[in-house]
Amino acid sequence: MKDIHYEERKVGMTGVKVAARDVQVYYGDNHAIKDVSVDILSKTVTAFIGPSGCGKSTFLRCINRMNDTISICRVEGSITLDGEDVYDPKIDPVRLRATIGMVFQKPNPFPKSIYDNVAYGPRIHGLARGKAELDEVVESSLKRAALWNEVKDRLDAPGTGLSGGQQQRLCIARAIATGPEVLLMDEPCSALDPIATAQVEELIDELRANYTVVIVTHSMQQAARVSQRTAFFHLGSLVEYGETSAIFTNPSDPRTESYISGRIG
Amino acid sequence: MSDMTAPAKRSLFTPDRLMDKRKAAEKRFRFYGLAAVVLSIAVLIFMLVSIAAQGWTAFTQAKLSFPITLDASKLDPKGNRNIEEMKKITTLTYNKVLGQGFADAMKAKGIQIDALTDKELAVLVSKDAAADIRNRVLADPALLGTTIMADVFASGRIDGYLKGRVTMASAANDSNISPAQLQLADRLRDAGILKAGFNWTFLTNPDASDQRPEAAGIGVGLIGSAYMMLLVLIMSVPIGVSASIYLEEFAPKNRWTDLIEVNISNLAAVPSIVYGVLGLALFINTAGLPQSSSLVGALVLTLMTLPTIIIATRSAIKAVPPSIRDAALGIGASKMQTVTHHVLPLAMPGILTGTILGLAAALGQTAPLLLIGMVAFVDNYPSLPVGGVMDPATALPVQVYTWTQRSDPAFIERSSGAIIVLLIFLLTMNALAIFLRRKFQTRW
Repeated sequence: MKDIHYEERKVGMTGVKVAARDVQVYYGDNHAIKDVSVDILSKTVTAFIGPSGCGKSTFLRCINRMNDTISICRVEGSITLDGEDVYDPKIDPVRLRATIGMVFQKPNPFPKSIYDNVAYGPRIHGLARGKAELDEVVESSLKRAALWNEVKDRLDAPGTGLSGGQQQRLCIARAIATGPEVLLMDEPCSALDPIATAQVEELIDELRANYTVVIVTHSMQQAARVSQRTAFFHLGSLVEYGETSAIFTNPSDPRTESYISGRIG
Repeated sequence: MSDMTAPAKRSLFTPDRLMDKRKAAEKRFRFYGLAAVVLSIAVLIFMLVSIAAQGWTAFTQAKLSFPITLDASKLDPKGNRNIEEMKKITTLTYNKVLGQGFADAMKAKGIQIDALTDKELAVLVSKDAAADIRNRVLADPALLGTTIMADVFASGRIDGYLKGRVTMASAANDSNISPAQLQLADRLRDAGILKAGFNWTFLTNPDASDQRPEAAGIGVGLIGSAYMMLLVLIMSVPIGVSASIYLEEFAPKNRWTDLIEVNISNLAAVPSIVYGVLGLALFINTAGLPQSSSLVGALVLTLMTLPTIIIATRSAIKAVPPSIRDAALGIGASKMQTVTHHVLPLAMPGILTGTILGLAAALGQTAPLLLIGMVAFVDNYPSLPVGGVMDPATALPVQVYTWTQRSDPAFIERSSGAIIVLLIFLLTMNALAIFLRRKFQTRW
């Protein structure tokens, strides 16, 4: 079956940030993503839900071409960012990834100081001239990631010494320090306790004002809490995509309904 | 089918045969492990003690000090202090001067020489002594005509007598020394002419011939080993680390890289003498590099060390969590930046360990060096780097090997002494590695 979810943008109020058309992903002979077409709206939180192994993380990693690092992985179809094909041979994935930031499942701060963690991206991309400017970028990124108040007195302390929730917010600060337009989050709360999860969720909601956020989550409650739009993946296909409230209250596909009511997955 | 009724309640205190067996097996296993550790430590201690017991005497040496008058009429017959002409005077003449001084000194101290002839007296003095005095005179002709203290080696047998290696009983059967000469040595010692002192020349002298074990030292071997270690470090680390980075981070995973990986492991297991044959054919016969030089030795040892370094570096790189690579790539670091900024610093302790292991193995290698001629008798010190690496040199383990081949037992103590120096060399390198590792690891 062919998905038609992207046509919804005609009725949407905000513009389309990322548009995927007929995306196929193969891991060797394994057809992991089948015919996925989806429009991700600007300055919106979009949640990808679905059972384990349904391809939601794989699809997420296609958007910033992190799958390029897996040699057997092959991507077909098109994904555009503001109308530019990210898989165009002339596109440098390194630059793309500075524009589309990513936060991973397990907090993975560099084994460096808190300051250096956040400053690393701006440094390698030459985003700040001089120490003062860099300090400013670090401060504003940490503030946006709601971590500044907790770490402002110990920026030289190792990033790995923070608690799990703080580490994940540090990773978010690190991702937004390069000034991305889109933030991809791959189950960012799965390694966190409920309190840290609540903090990160609150943060995601605030980030919506400036960034387009795509979050993969296993928790349907989380999807319901933080996202405006939800996409349900099943066995490598996009089954249903729409307003989060609509998906959770009135799913149109029986598979979506079974999943959110806990019968599959 | 067994009955399905619930098993009767058994107290935890009831003895259980299966449990006892398991406990006995665990006890046995622990005992085996402990026994293996104790055995290895015992062997290690035995080895260290026997080397130290045999080798420490190499660091002391019997010396004869007595005044000699450097007779200008004999040593510079024309009296014009021309170095070129003085060089024509051989050690035979110096021997006479030395013998005269020795005899005079004994007479002055009232030491009875019994019925010993001049020739038998000369046996007490090292054959190296005349050359030593000659070198001193040639270096400073102003000494001619003056009286200087001849601070020269006693012969190897006399040295052995002071150290207990030579006894009256063994001297009775020895064509080189007689009990009468040993008794004279006793009197010389009482008179303060014969003394044992710390033997710096063992560390600085080059090798000496069979007849002069007392003059032999490990100087050339130390320089050769140091040059080679430096060159091996300079060559093998950049090659090994870049090969590992390429194979681990950039190379596609296919049949060819698998083949390369298998062959690197194979190379690590190739007997070292084979590398010697390769070095002989490649570096000496084909490339025409000088034989016995530290450069060729270092090239051969580099080839030998590379597999060890590559294997260690690859596993260190593999051990860096992939999440760190994801993190760096995810914020737009290039592959190269990811490797140099994040992967390499984290892999550094492992790389250092592998490098030191490889270098330690290279330091102890003897077989490949024999084939490229480093076993030759080298009397001259190699000059300073960079040119010095082309000069003939030998290496510490080769020196040990050479000395164990010599017939005079005085060389046995010297080879043990050289082993002690080799072990200290090794321990210093390991200590440096541990220090560097600590330093890198504190950077979390």
